[in-house]
Amino acid sequence: MLGVKREQMESLRARIAQIEKRPMLEEGAALPPRGAEQDLLAAPAGLLHEVFADERRDAGATLGFALAQARGLLSPERPAILCLQLTREAQDMGLPYGAGLKSFGIDPHGVVLIRAESIVELLWAIEEAVSCRAVAAVVADIGGRPKALDFTVSRRLSLRAASAGTSVFLTRYGEEREASAARLRWRVVPALSGTAAFDAHAPGGPRWRVELEKGRLGQTATARAGTVDFLLDWTENGFVVVDSSRTTEGTSALPDRAPSSRAVPPALGDRLSQAG
Amino acid sequence: MLFLPRWATDCLKRADPALGALTEPLALWERQRGAMRLLAVDDRAVRAGLMAGQNLSDAKALCPKLEVREIDRAFLEHVFADFADWHSYASPIVSVLTDQAAYGDLCLDITGVAHLFGGEEAMLETLTGKLRALGFTVAGAIAPSVGAAWALAHFASGQIIGETAGEALAELPVAALRLAESRITGLMQMGLKRVGQLYGRDRKALRARFGASLLTRLDQALGTLEERVIPRIPVAERYAERRFAEPIGLIDDVLMSARDLAIRLSVRLEAEGLGAQSFHLFLYRVDHKVMSLSVNAARATRDPGHIARLFGNRVERLIGEYDPGFGIDMIRLAASSVSEVNAAQIGAFETRGGAENLDRLYDRMTSRLGPLAVVRSKFVNTHIPERAVKLEPMVARTPDDPEAAPDAALPRPLRLLPAPEPIGVVAEVPDGPPAGMQWRRVNYRFVKASGPERIGVEWWRPGEGALTRDYYVAEDDGGRRFWVFREGLYHETGNPRWFLHGFFA
Repeated sequence: MLGVKREQMESLRARIAQIEKRPMLEEGAALPPRGAEQDLLAAPAGLLHEVFADERRDAGATLGFALAQARGLLSPERPAILCLQLTREAQDMGLPYGAGLKSFGIDPHGVVLIRAESIVELLWAIEEAVSCRAVAAVVADIGGRPKALDFTVSRRLSLRAASAGTSVFLTRYGEEREASAARLRWRVVPALSGTAAFDAHAPGGPRWRVELEKGRLGQTATARAGTVDFLLDWTENGFVVVDSSRTTEGTSALPDRAPSSRAVPPALGDRLSQAG
Repeated sequence: MLFLPRWATDCLKRADPALGALTEPLALWERQRGAMRLLAVDDRAVRAGLMAGQNLSDAKALCPKLEVREIDRAFLEHVFADFADWHSYASPIVSVLTDQAAYGDLCLDITGVAHLFGGEEAMLETLTGKLRALGFTVAGAIAPSVGAAWALAHFASGQIIGETAGEALAELPVAALRLAESRITGLMQMGLKRVGQLYGRDRKALRARFGASLLTRLDQALGTLEERVIPRIPVAERYAERRFAEPIGLIDDVLMSARDLAIRLSVRLEAEGLGAQSFHLFLYRVDHKVMSLSVNAARATRDPGHIARLFGNRVERLIGEYDPGFGIDMIRLAASSVSEVNAAQIGAFETRGGAENLDRLYDRMTSRLGPLAVVRSKFVNTHIPERAVKLEPMVARTPDDPEAAPDAALPRPLRLLPAPEPIGVVAEVPDGPPAGMQWRRVNYRFVKASGPERIGVEWWRPGEGALTRDYYVAEDDGGRRFWVFREGLYHETGNPRWFLHGFFA
């Protein structure tokens, strides 16, 4: 008798969990890559990304990677990329520069800069921008570790991004990882560039070592998240993978980090889904 | 025309309750050429035999109980300007006539509004009665020309004259013509004491004797020469307003009324097939102040929801400065920068049309974050990197200069530091990139570098620090790519300085 009841309870619980489980929190499913096969790092639209660099002096690399991802999301219906920054951080990390955007391969007229006074205003502006269906992507510089940007806020941004189909890239700095609802988390480290066309002593095009720390994308789905990194070149045609290696094989150039600093998404996801 | 002869003292009495409760006469003085002279006196002081222009010591002798204050002209003018703005509840065109004094003369153009108050007579009665109830001494008159109204308000108040000002003015003294003190004395000496005596005289002779200003003023008073008044608040042809029986104070109530007004205004704009880019909300406080709030839209609109949201955002930003005082008894929403908006364009807002959606997003952001917060890159035709890109507000876009588009082949950083930061360099060689740098107390060793890209000064601009810059793209051993420059060539300055200007991707 008792066993039957327990079974019933179990099945009911399972059903409730099934109902409550939100697709956004499901970490298991890999995202299909957008576009051509060689563009295996191009994430589909409507996602919240976090792009981490270890230090703020690598702000050029994070912005470059985020814009490179955003460029593929541009379309005639969604002609704009919005770059957000706190006014006081402009001198610290540099303002996105129109002429540089052009050299990077992005039409500077489609890029609008928004300079907010406070982090609350910045987050408001992100939300407002995400809801607009004419915006392809929002790239927001988060220089510090603001308290206002907590799990709840990132979850809200993630849901809004999914419902409007606008991607959000939060470029962040440091080695600490906080709990966040971002679907994909990248770690970008600038890498020594390849050779320039005519000058052996000149720096080549942008090259980064990119690690997908959270979430799975396309071909990388075969491996567990957090163990894949790529050496990428950014060319005018998109990403070119120079070298893909696994940290498990010990060939990575990435410096090791303490694993404890990483947030554990599934536990958080379950907790939230049960809280309603 | 309203004339407040005792504005200075009345205003102070209202501002300072201690003065208001005073039973002694009050006078304001100012130091003029070393002497302390009275500038303004109140009614009691007039009864005690004082007048403006007297010496302070004389006045004290005449009336020992006299209360005196030094005059604060700026304050009085400021309060009078607010007071004038507040009168736009009665008529859209309100101006302060400053010919004779910086404050005291208020001119309202009541063409076409008198019927709202039940005729001209009733309107004059209402306006002056309101002010008297507040404790102001006020004289008013209505006339077809500014000059005539001024003359009547000052010398024969309460009159309303219709078409011809000539007879009404004939008996007034020549001072009623708004002339300078010396001109009036001159006229008096000639025995020309009344305005009527000037009628029909030889104009050439008058001009020769008293200058052109006399004729101008005379013509203005008689209405043969048009006189323009400059309204203090820009006149909006299209507006909607609402008066409250009971003053309101809460900002939410204000916003709700603004939404209602926006709907009414949009109906009106729609009937004319128009849209507007600027909207102004005027809040008339019961204590003679007007608060105004303006929002701008990137493209002409008449969507009430959008307008109301812009005001909502704006208020959120200015919430600290909002002060309803004793309440707001009237709200007016005016539209300016009006242009034609056809129906199709409005329909496009409702669809998922890209450009319109974006413009509204920028409007909303601008109204909350400020006009300089939402900007785009506008290229300027110059080689100086920091000047080649100008940040231009999205709500005030100007067409692009096709010649200014940058050359994509030149290396330009993805992020530019608004102010270049000085760096220390190691192992520099003349006309070559450095081997490393020290920036923000961290050392970097460069492994690759390209350059120089030499950018000369714009010698045609005055006040330039006339030094040539040599830009290098330098990559350090960590793969970071920097944009550094040396200010000055070695032969220009003995010891050129190095700066970091940007980061590449």
